Amino acid sequence: MGFLELVNFYIIPGIVLGSIYALGAVGITLIFAILRYAHLAHGDLATLGAFVAFAVVTGIGVSPYAALPVAIVATALVAVGIDKVFYEHLRERPKIITVIASLGIALMVRAVVQVIWGVDSESYVRGISRPDVYFGLRIRDREIYTVLAMLALVGALYVFLSRSKWGKAMRAMSDNPNLALLSGIDNKTVIVLTWVIAGGLCAAAGVFLGINTELKSMMGWQMLLPMFAAAILGGVGRVEGAVLGGLIVGLAEELSVLILPSEYKAATAFVILLFMLLVRPTGILRGKVL
Amino acid sequence: MSTLLSMEDLTGGYGEADILRSVSLHVDDREIVVIVGPNGAGKSTAMKAVFGLLKVRGGRTVFDGDDITGWSPNKIVQRGICYVPQVDNIFREMSIQENLEMGAFLKKGDLSAAYDRVYELFPDLKERRRTLAGSLSGGQRQMVAMGRALMLDPKLLLLDEPTAGLSPRYMEQIFQISRDVRDTGVAILLVEQHAKQALAFADRGYVLAAGQNRHEGTGADLLANREIAEMFLGG
Amino acid sequence: MEFIGLVNYALFMGIFIAIYALLALGLNIQWGFAGLFNAGIAGFFAVGAYTSAIITSAAADGRIGGFELPFLVGWAGAMVAAGLIAWPIGKICLRFRSDYLAIATIGVAEIIRLVIKSEEALTNSARGITGLPRPFGDLPYVESQAAFLLLMIAILFVAYLLVERQFNSPWGRMMRAIRDNELAARAMGKDVEYRRLQAFIFGAALMGLGGALFAHFNRSITPEAIDPMVATFLVWIMLILGGAGNNRGAILGAAVVWIIWSVSEIATDQLPHEYAVKAKYIRLFLIGLLLQLVLRFRPEGLLPEPLRGDQGASRREPKSSARV
Repeated sequence: MGFLELVNFYIIPGIVLGSIYALGAVGITLIFAILRYAHLAHGDLATLGAFVAFAVVTGIGVSPYAALPVAIVATALVAVGIDKVFYEHLRERPKIITVIASLGIALMVRAVVQVIWGVDSESYVRGISRPDVYFGLRIRDREIYTVLAMLALVGALYVFLSRSKWGKAMRAMSDNPNLALLSGIDNKTVIVLTWVIAGGLCAAAGVFLGINTELKSMMGWQMLLPMFAAAILGGVGRVEGAVLGGLIVGLAEELSVLILPSEYKAATAFVILLFMLLVRPTGILRGKVL
Repeated sequence: MSTLLSMEDLTGGYGEADILRSVSLHVDDREIVVIVGPNGAGKSTAMKAVFGLLKVRGGRTVFDGDDITGWSPNKIVQRGICYVPQVDNIFREMSIQENLEMGAFLKKGDLSAAYDRVYELFPDLKERRRTLAGSLSGGQRQMVAMGRALMLDPKLLLLDEPTAGLSPRYMEQIFQISRDVRDTGVAILLVEQHAKQALAFADRGYVLAAGQNRHEGTGADLLANREIAEMFLGG
Repeated sequence: MEFIGLVNYALFMGIFIAIYALLALGLNIQWGFAGLFNAGIAGFFAVGAYTSAIITSAAADGRIGGFELPFLVGWAGAMVAAGLIAWPIGKICLRFRSDYLAIATIGVAEIIRLVIKSEEALTNSARGITGLPRPFGDLPYVESQAAFLLLMIAILFVAYLLVERQFNSPWGRMMRAIRDNELAARAMGKDVEYRRLQAFIFGAALMGLGGALFAHFNRSITPEAIDPMVATFLVWIMLILGGAGNNRGAILGAAVVWIIWSVSEIATDQLPHEYAVKAKYIRLFLIGLLLQLVLRFRPEGLLPEPLRGDQGASRREPKSSARV
């Protein structure tokens, strides 16, 4: 296999898939670090976001990119709402109780999608899109948009976390919650912000997965493991780590086909997860271990 | 000099059991007061009681004319008491400057005067203000922790074993800085394991044992007391 | 429905309750007892079902297995296989908080699903393995069902007694101490990891047995026989509703949830087709909601964990108090 072939059929799809995982993994890593539990409904929130965009696309006939902001806002609101109604009152109990609750939420969110939109595959646009060729590299527009959108969203988040007062408050809460509370940082606002960001990014992950593949009610659940693997690989609590982890997991999944039967593509993330837990649970960029 | 803080017959604990039993103490304006005593005497607990981290079942705490018994730590911070815990008292993953900024979270408006004041007390920190706090040495971390607490211009600073785990050189430095802080008009209440050195440096001291007041007096008087020397200070 | 139909339905339901109760007991060892979060119950169930199927079925072309051994050998094999899968996962994940185990078990279940779907030589992929021996399968239908149910109840009873005995042994006391006090647990170090691993493996073995019983009851096992997410979730709600830490609670929860689940299915099946399909998902939504309600309003479940002497005033769920 030539170099171009490797790039065209494995590296480029891997980076695109990795960007999608990165969007979800950033939210997972923030929730892990600030709220201190694994949020198992994350994938299904992404599904919800993808289908909200689908409703906008089919409802008023705009492109999925135009529907993206609507999906982001709607999913962020749903995420905040879920936290208020279902997670907030579990805050004083052991965190693992919230993990159980989130498994139930995953089922509930998916059930809502299945009731409203059914279980058949859908897509935003009909027909096949042909890749353009740049110096022998075959790239589709949607692939460029996916990677650019990921970089823009995560870049904006990065600036928010490192420059703004509330962004720093989120980092403080992740770093040392007791001291953050002693300093008078309002935990409730930090939590709302965390859900807005995580929910919005989730929706973006779902929409871009839908743009690059298709929409299915199980699409998000199947992303859950790669997203967690990415978050842990990068280091829990590290936004840049989650992006790096997402890209590595995406590339590894696409490249795994070279040595494994393609049915086992989805096992790659699991292997990465166990490997990291075994050799370096803090992840590449030294994150937290719960 | 007027009384800034007075704790009157305070009884309470974290759960059902009382750790403090009728403890009384007071801190005057611009005074450094130290609490010493054997392990498990309730020293740190007494300090946490001031900061509203305890279930109080009797007695009260008055600060600057207000009865602050039962107030939330958040409200107490805003009233003018800042607290530096013994461990985990910095944000490791944040720069020195960001640590200070978080300390001033409740403050509206321009922070530059507050930064200047803290950096004047801790010139070492100013040069390294972009450095991650977690990469500093133990003594410098303690300075960051104190600096964070001073950002809100408290009237009273609570220090929980500020010299724990520090070398004698740093211990002396922390004491010196505490005096400098006091000279800017802040009273200090601290808990110390190094009783001799702390009593020598403080204006007044309290000796607690088994959750109760045992002795009080100026540092020099307490150091001269044979019973204290034998019971708590190891001769 | 005529009388005989009702009897048949009751027998059928009883058998399913007994199988699910076994799964709930397995989860109770892991979660109720040791605080371990297993989100891949269906995976261990499937491993048990297929292992027993391979051991006991007749030989077939192009497929490994077909040893035609007695079903008891198959059931023992199912328990061993599920335990063997649990071992490395537990070994890697039990050092960390249970969140990691939850994610890893989701992964295990997913991979087991992939293997079942793709490894034709092992599982006969989509067609599954059929013609499994069924205890009392030669009797007339009703008698056969009744006898099978009795067998299930006997197995459940034995499992209950064994687990209950473990709960009350020094081993059980130590496990509860570990579960309730993470700090003390860490101080005990390696030994704790080992005991947690035991609990995880025992629980998984019971789930494997549940899978084997299910396969032999149906005389076959196919990838579509159970929906992994639904099965896993049902077992969780059974245990949480029944009362985590209480074995009788686990069994009661299995009965209550399964009755609600299957009666509501009968009800929704009466609807016109287009609504019946949606109704399935509405039922899933409601069962998810039920979990949220139980967690909020009755976290101890219908039958709370009995205070077993040693626990005294210490509480089941230590408050994650803010240490300052």
